[in-house]
Amino acid sequence: MNPPDHLRPLQRLVHPAPRTPQLSAAPAAGPAATPAAELWLAIQLPQLPLDLATSGHAERKPCVLVEGSGARQRVTLVNSEAARLGIRAGMALGAAHALGEVTALQRMPAIEERALARLCAWAYQFTPVVNAVGPDGLLLEVRGSLALFGGLHGLLTTLRRGLRELGMRSFAFAAAPTPLAATWLARGRQPATVDSFAALPAALAVLPLDTLRLPVRQLQDFYGIGVHTIGECLRLPRDGLARRFAPDLLRDLDRALGREPDPRPAFTPPERFSQRLDLLWEIHHAQALTTGMERLLHELGGVLRARSAVIRSLCWTLHHRDGTTVPHRLSLVAPSRDVAHLARLTREHFARQRLPAPVRGFELEAADFEIQTAVDIEDLFCRGPRGESTDERWPQFVERLQARLGPDALKELAAMPDHRPERSMRMTPLGAAPAADTVDGTVRRRRPRPLWLTRQPLPLAEQNGRPALGGALTLGPERERVQGGWWEGADLARDYFVARDPRGTRWWVFRELEGRRGWYLHGVFE
Amino acid sequence: MTLEELMRRARLWRAGEASAEPGLPTGFAALDAALPAGGWPFPGLIEILCGQPGSGGLRLMLPVLARLAHEQRWLIWVAPPYQPYAPALQAADIDLRRVMVVDVETADGAAAPGLPAGRPGAARAAGEGSQVLWAFEQALRFPGCGAALLWPGPLEALTLRRLQLACEAGGTLGVLFRAGECAEQSSPAALRLLLTPQPADDALDITILKCRGSLRARECRLPL
Repeated sequence: MNPPDHLRPLQRLVHPAPRTPQLSAAPAAGPAATPAAELWLAIQLPQLPLDLATSGHAERKPCVLVEGSGARQRVTLVNSEAARLGIRAGMALGAAHALGEVTALQRMPAIEERALARLCAWAYQFTPVVNAVGPDGLLLEVRGSLALFGGLHGLLTTLRRGLRELGMRSFAFAAAPTPLAATWLARGRQPATVDSFAALPAALAVLPLDTLRLPVRQLQDFYGIGVHTIGECLRLPRDGLARRFAPDLLRDLDRALGREPDPRPAFTPPERFSQRLDLLWEIHHAQALTTGMERLLHELGGVLRARSAVIRSLCWTLHHRDGTTVPHRLSLVAPSRDVAHLARLTREHFARQRLPAPVRGFELEAADFEIQTAVDIEDLFCRGPRGESTDERWPQFVERLQARLGPDALKELAAMPDHRPERSMRMTPLGAAPAADTVDGTVRRRRPRPLWLTRQPLPLAEQNGRPALGGALTLGPERERVQGGWWEGADLARDYFVARDPRGTRWWVFRELEGRRGWYLHGVFE
Repeated sequence: MTLEELMRRARLWRAGEASAEPGLPTGFAALDAALPAGGWPFPGLIEILCGQPGSGGLRLMLPVLARLAHEQRWLIWVAPPYQPYAPALQAADIDLRRVMVVDVETADGAAAPGLPAGRPGAARAAGEGSQVLWAFEQALRFPGCGAALLWPGPLEALTLRRLQLACEAGGTLGVLFRAGECAEQSSPAALRLLLTPQPADDALDITILKCRGSLRARECRLPL
């Protein structure tokens, strides 16, 4: 049977692309069939509790959601792995356990509510009008966003990919001119796009009454008088309906059909990001954490895009089995909101970590949102640490190395205006020293200088009054006296020589002019 | 497919035929003349078998390092055996603002003083699977890098192959300063040089053990 014309499946909009993204669904011409000013997109997440519980893990195990208690525990939701074992909703938990190893989860309304709020913050990147519909739905007013995201098809593609990145595995969409109609259509698994008020009554009429999520008694009353769909319900006399059933129902029906306004509270996006992900199974290796971490990073990325903000640092806090919490702070060279980059940094950081105890959950915090104004964000990545380069990915490259090797592992070199060898250069952590006090490169030294300097002068053995290094060294004819530094409390007095060993390698050695008058190695020529 | 077609597709490497890509001038005329590409193979992995620091291996690289730095590309020194002496690099016309040192000894907390005799101190850390080797490979794969230098311990042929591929992926010059004994190991590096200092003549003998685009071993001598 073909669906009625006003119920145009989304797929049909998806594939034969030449159709315009304008969703002119109603065939009838005339003012009533013009597209409504608002288009509400409902996202229904029927498996939200299960998806949330497993989103920290890469591997998928059979999970079911149970309600009730004791022997009357019933399975209410089943993920696809559990369904493969033959477990169905409505089974007793005992029967489900008999079919295979399965993890049973209780509903946690508080966690689901928080998760919906997070999803709202994430969805704020698509439209400023976002609304949570508890316990498992979202509403987005998308009329104004269609052009930006390439029509409804483009928007849905982006949404699908994004939801999968967040670890959501099952979702349904529907679009309609009123929020309630969109929600009911999505709940009724009618992947429909209804674009005008004129087409709305017919689209809703076929939906079964249970998509309204009425109280069980009300629903049974309706079934008792032979009313099973919204269409049949709408044919009942209005006053009787209001009297016999709650007046709320009549109001909802009017709102769904657009006869009455349906104001929705505005969603305010958060100023900071702080999310915790509890793991269903303990994780023993740091690398295995990254799947769940990437999901949180995708969430963060969505929130940052929504706020058009960037961050300079983020903090992971691991909750270990023994009750300890360990923070891992990652700081960025350049502000960013690039999820791939943040994920790479996180991976590199945790690749070198050994977990002191198994991890039960982790938190991601990012507080220092910097709101980007008119500046093109890509522009920020095109400068090196000293602002002059055209390297596109230098900051990211540096961060990646630092994440793995430690923040002080990368050093820069500077030549200093000082005649004492150890003071004439500086090797300091990248960005730690004030820049640009390097002496001008045009300063040439007449005296021989080695390419290598030892970190400290290394004491040399002495043979017959001459320094030795795997055999006596032959001193060159030139002697360079270096003195001074008393004004800094680092006085030195040395005679430097170029010395040659039997193999021909040239060393830079000196003899102390005072005290022990020992020989030291200070450099290597090439 | 005929042989002619294969030849025309130019995907066959024929021994004895100079490689099409011109190399980077080494800054030493005698060495340029001896190298089939007229300079360092670029991008590519170069092995300089010179034993401990002080045998002239680094000096060979100074002109090309200066040139790459002037082209705004980074010079990444991965776990060098001693501190590169900044004024000397400057005297060799190397832009210090383009030099980064991966100083992993301090990162690992083990201060290796770099004993003058024997193998360089960093060598122990730069073996297979080490952080140092990882950092070197990342540097080679990073397109903003011009050249990355490493003083490694023993490496397997498979690792060398990976490093050569990393050079090609990043468009970079990878330089390994290795012990002279490594000459017997077969290697996928684009160029392998064996250095023999001749202190009596104040000269450095360079033997080209292997070079892409040439089968013949060649030699040249540079004044020290």
